[in-house]
Amino acid sequence: MFACIYGRSVPKCGFHDETGASLIDLAFTFSPLVEQTTVDTVVLDVAGQDLLFGSSGNFGEPEHKHAGIDSSRALANEIVRRATQLGFKVNVSVAANSDAAIHSARSFKGVTVIPAGGESLQLGNLPLKMLDYSLAAVEKERVGEIGETLELWGLHTFSDFAWLPLKGIAQRLGQAGVRLQKLAQGKSERLLVLVQPPIGFEQSLELEHPVAELEPLSFILSRLLNQLCANLHSHALATNELRLRLKLEDKTDHERAITLPVPMRNPKTLLRLLLFEIEAQPPQAAIISVTIAAEPVQPRVAQTGLFIPLAPEPEKLELTLARLAKLVGADKVGSPELLDTHRPDAFRVKRFITSTGQNKSRRHRHWAIGAGQCLMGFRVFRPPWRAEVQTIHGRPVRISAHNVNSSCLVRGEVICASGPWRISGDWWRTDVWARDEWDIAVADSVPHQSDVLCRIYRDLQSEEWFIAGMYD
Amino acid sequence: MKPAGAKKEIELALADRFGGAFQRREEQPAEIVPTGVWEIDARLNGFPRGAITEIHGTASSGRTSLLLSALAVATMQEETCALVDTSDTFDLSSAATARVDCDRLLWVRCSGSVERAFKATDLLLQSGGFGLVALNLADVAAKYTRRIITSWWFRFRRAIENTPTALVVVTPVACTRSCATLVLEVKNEGPLWPNTMSFVLENSDARLAIKEGGEGAPPQTTRLSLVTGSTQPLNSWPALTHSHLLQGIGVRVNRERPVAWTAGPVRFRTRLH
Repeated sequence: MFACIYGRSVPKCGFHDETGASLIDLAFTFSPLVEQTTVDTVVLDVAGQDLLFGSSGNFGEPEHKHAGIDSSRALANEIVRRATQLGFKVNVSVAANSDAAIHSARSFKGVTVIPAGGESLQLGNLPLKMLDYSLAAVEKERVGEIGETLELWGLHTFSDFAWLPLKGIAQRLGQAGVRLQKLAQGKSERLLVLVQPPIGFEQSLELEHPVAELEPLSFILSRLLNQLCANLHSHALATNELRLRLKLEDKTDHERAITLPVPMRNPKTLLRLLLFEIEAQPPQAAIISVTIAAEPVQPRVAQTGLFIPLAPEPEKLELTLARLAKLVGADKVGSPELLDTHRPDAFRVKRFITSTGQNKSRRHRHWAIGAGQCLMGFRVFRPPWRAEVQTIHGRPVRISAHNVNSSCLVRGEVICASGPWRISGDWWRTDVWARDEWDIAVADSVPHQSDVLCRIYRDLQSEEWFIAGMYD
Repeated sequence: MKPAGAKKEIELALADRFGGAFQRREEQPAEIVPTGVWEIDARLNGFPRGAITEIHGTASSGRTSLLLSALAVATMQEETCALVDTSDTFDLSSAATARVDCDRLLWVRCSGSVERAFKATDLLLQSGGFGLVALNLADVAAKYTRRIITSWWFRFRRAIENTPTALVVVTPVACTRSCATLVLEVKNEGPLWPNTMSFVLENSDARLAIKEGGEGAPPQTTRLSLVTGSTQPLNSWPALTHSHLLQGIGVRVNRERPVAWTAGPVRFRTRLH
């Protein structure tokens, strides 16, 4: 069953692309299978719509014929009603054949319902100038020629053309003529050229009462995310970016965005991530509207191997990272990276993602395992401990220092010292640094304990001594 | 009734009521994470997976060196590792020198909070998928580490049981008690001097005597001034350079748990470069 909506020209503004788009939107409210034949003509497959708009009888079967016509008429009336609400004046026709529905809608005002098998009867009186050659895929060059031929033959209506013998039509007009005759008979067969519905991965909800707490908000977010993820799943897509927009009671907007390292579409994971994000940056007022938009991307396709080392699952890892960020702070979780500078202890923490650079690791694997050499570790104190250092001829001989909490202490005679190594840099900037570094061994005050090996430095700006860290 | 028979009867009775809940589980042969130190790997194979390994020792004893070495090997084997840094003392330069692949290392800085460090470790262990998780408590005072309640360690042990994750805890004193499968005590056997270097005290003045040997040449002794006030003019002693002093440290490793270690402690050396 097909319904055709033909938009009669709208006074003052006429038809244009936007109006055509509105007709398509109207059609999509009734069926997902929609063809836009021309700007003012839309065809939709309404098979099964009688369950919604009338009796459940099968339109094609004789015993349910009247029931089927009634439900089709109810459907057509509903289309007209909604079109009127949108400000359109439309003709609607329902038929078993899509092309018959088109011709009927273009020719008859209001609602027309053509029962199955009654196409020839309904369309028979229509003038041949109403025949849409484009529906029969007739070449533009031949349209004029065929029209002139039919006129010379003295044909004026659809029925005149429909009753001509098929063999003669085929001999004189070819396959184009045959297709045109079927069109006139209302028996053409073709598939609809479907309009893809616009993919919108955005869900929003206006709240009746302002929400000021996280728990009730989580239910709302869960509902929206479930819809969003179902939508993504139906299109075989995932998302790598979620944008949350909250309208607040104080007329402001609170927007947050979550960028994911891998495409996901698990609503539970996304909900936890959103809640962590809102907890970290809470809105300043109660929420009256929630909108979530997802950036659609192709889902992650990973082929794991038997001999590839186990790595955390990306979804679980992302949740763990969010929890860790909540626990210790977002800037204190991640993958460390040395900066390209000589400034001591210059680093940054970047986002941790499971690395896929396997070649690099394999290149060094045998070296690392085979070498068996242990390099000396160093523990750097952040911030460096301020130290009291006694010197003789510039060399440190005694040191006393402790950390901020006074929980760790370095105090004693310096039994070995090596230095100084003067290093400096960034002299062109305001935060210029310059220091004299020493490596020292401090005799532990506790008997039978080993010496402590430290790196200390004298800041040349402030002339103060610090302990940079400890060899360990 | 003989004790053995009574025990069997009790076990059968318990098995009828509680199934295998009271049966002693057989220890499975543990998979290991190599430490990267040949001397230790030859004896222990490495740190056991699915279990807690504790490395404890005083400052400058070589704990961090051992940890970095294990991290380097694990990351080189494409394993994802995590370091929970309680006191924020992880040095990237030395880690990079030790060839730790920082792209595969998740660094969690806890700013001195032991509680946060334990919670972070718990999250990481529950998350799963990590090859090696290191909890660095090296800079936490011994009195605080002794106060850590045992239930944390039991929780960690339970979380990683039958998983490929190895949890390595670095502490100043032994504190994991019976929860650790492997406990290593690390001791500093003194810094390593280049060539043959001896520490000399002459008239309350400390000096280094370096014997620089070469093939076919008699060793030559050079004396370098060190710390304390020298009675000699300064310019009579050549100045030390960075590489003169610290070339590494000698480390002695005692296995405290399990106790059966017939061959005695393991000794290895760390080097600066």
